[in-house]
Amino acid sequence: MTVLKTEAFDNAAIAAPPRDWVLVGLWIALAMVAVLWVAPFVFIIFTSFKSTAAVMGSSAFAPPTNPQISNYVAAWSRGRFETTFTNSAIITVIKVPLGLFISAMAAYALARIEFSGRKMVLVLILFGTMIPFQVMLAPLFTLVNGFGLIDTYPGVILPYLAFGIPYQVFILQSFFRGVPKELTEAARIDGASHFVIFRRIFLPISLPVLAALCILDFVATWNEFAMALVLLQDQKMWTLPLGLSAFQGQFSRDYGQLNAAIVMTVLPAALVYLIFQRYFVSGLTSGAVKG
Amino acid sequence: MQITKLASDQRLQAALLIAPALIIYAVFAIYPMIDVVALSFQKWNGLDANRHFVGLSNYIDIFTKDPVFWVAFRNTITWTILSTIFPPLFGLLLALGLNQRLFARNSLRAIYYLPVIIAPIAVATMWRWMYDPFFGIFNQVLSLLGLQSWIKDWLGARDVALYSAFVAYVWQTVGFSMVLFLAGLQGVDKSLVEAARIDGADRWQRFRFVTLPALRPTITIVLVLSVISSLKAFDIIYGLTGGGPAQSTQMLALWAFTQSMQIFDFGRGSAISTVLLLITLAIVIPYMRWAQKREEAAE
Repeated sequence: MTVLKTEAFDNAAIAAPPRDWVLVGLWIALAMVAVLWVAPFVFIIFTSFKSTAAVMGSSAFAPPTNPQISNYVAAWSRGRFETTFTNSAIITVIKVPLGLFISAMAAYALARIEFSGRKMVLVLILFGTMIPFQVMLAPLFTLVNGFGLIDTYPGVILPYLAFGIPYQVFILQSFFRGVPKELTEAARIDGASHFVIFRRIFLPISLPVLAALCILDFVATWNEFAMALVLLQDQKMWTLPLGLSAFQGQFSRDYGQLNAAIVMTVLPAALVYLIFQRYFVSGLTSGAVKG
Repeated sequence: MQITKLASDQRLQAALLIAPALIIYAVFAIYPMIDVVALSFQKWNGLDANRHFVGLSNYIDIFTKDPVFWVAFRNTITWTILSTIFPPLFGLLLALGLNQRLFARNSLRAIYYLPVIIAPIAVATMWRWMYDPFFGIFNQVLSLLGLQSWIKDWLGARDVALYSAFVAYVWQTVGFSMVLFLAGLQGVDKSLVEAARIDGADRWQRFRFVTLPALRPTITIVLVLSVISSLKAFDIIYGLTGGGPAQSTQMLALWAFTQSMQIFDFGRGSAISTVLLLITLAIVIPYMRWAQKREEAAE
């Protein structure tokens, strides 16, 4: 271990000469662009603490002189955040674990059980990862309306599940295929059913992948707008993105409050990302690039 | 006897494991896709009990009587081409830079990726405020720099609105390309790069002849994903301009939605959707065959 470490250290010392001006220039360029990249966030947060008079009177980059928490309070009640927040939370908390569970079951069967039609199901699933649901908003409305599920939680959760399943099944089945056969063969010989093997062996070992998918799916579900727009017409059922869009429509001249509403909508997903950053990247790339 | 029982038992178990996912997927994703094609040949307002078969008339209508369709079509193509060039290119440059051993590179990566996880509708709301003609950040910066003549109503002027919207889209999506390229770069053999360096290849040559060829599969994946996600552009346009001013930022996905859900002409809306679906399939199907061949070659 120590030997390895010193070796890596020496390599680094050889590879990087004391001062590589190209790298210094590169770093400065990347840092400057990064400042541009965060500027919108700074602008939004600053504005969210300013009164309308301060927004009109001061420069956009001037920090708020006497921060107004009142924008948040007002936006919370005028934007009906209590309702939209609750709806988003309920939908996400049901959809994400349920979707992962049924996707994992299907992925296990596709990876580990030989049956006819397996390949066809796989192609159908892979296909689903790429078709845009934005194309089918109208028939989706017709379908959900036919079931009498417009403005209900199941009415939006079921389509969310349907459009989340392909990607998750695809990633999980390619992960499951990499699990050594020996691990399950012994259990099969002992007479364990596939259900038992799935629950006792595959679910525990795939926890890191499931965690990554869980976080990706949390953000996707939390942020979804187009389907919710069509399937949730009643204000009482609106999710956060719908609430924000309506808020902008009604109160776009209350700059401080509008920006407070943006911050409150974005914050949960941003926090989840910053806390679980590591999983994000692994979840995104495990499927796409390694393929 | 024992074996056949085991086999049928296997199939039963497989069916039970797959059924929940497959049924939900088939009913709520595959069926609407088939239905959208069926609707495109029908006349329906979304309420009546009967849908009338009208043959190709919806298609004839959108192609010949709906000037907005062609604007939306052209905008979608422009948007798609721009999205296949800029986000992947910036993403690649960022990935190459942030693949070097640099100070605070993880924080820099996190910053560039942050916009990706923000709801597109929130991005639209943010940028609409930043583009505000009076108090928005862009015009404030321009007047600060003494460039008053450049000040514009960025989302209200027909000739620039689409590009203004696209800038917001680039801000949001570059991080996604970057992460995929960073992952692809991990697959580039470091010893090859090092060997090229020892042989006297300069930075550009090392990139051109070692790194770039190794990145080719990643590049294909990023480009295809960029095209597909650009065809889906809906939330950001809906939130930024709603297709205006004067339909100058109208897109196929949004126009299909407007026809069906706001004008209640499900037939026309579905015909527009079907056109978009066909464009998507023309890209997705060849890509799937390529991916499958690649996987078979790897096995």
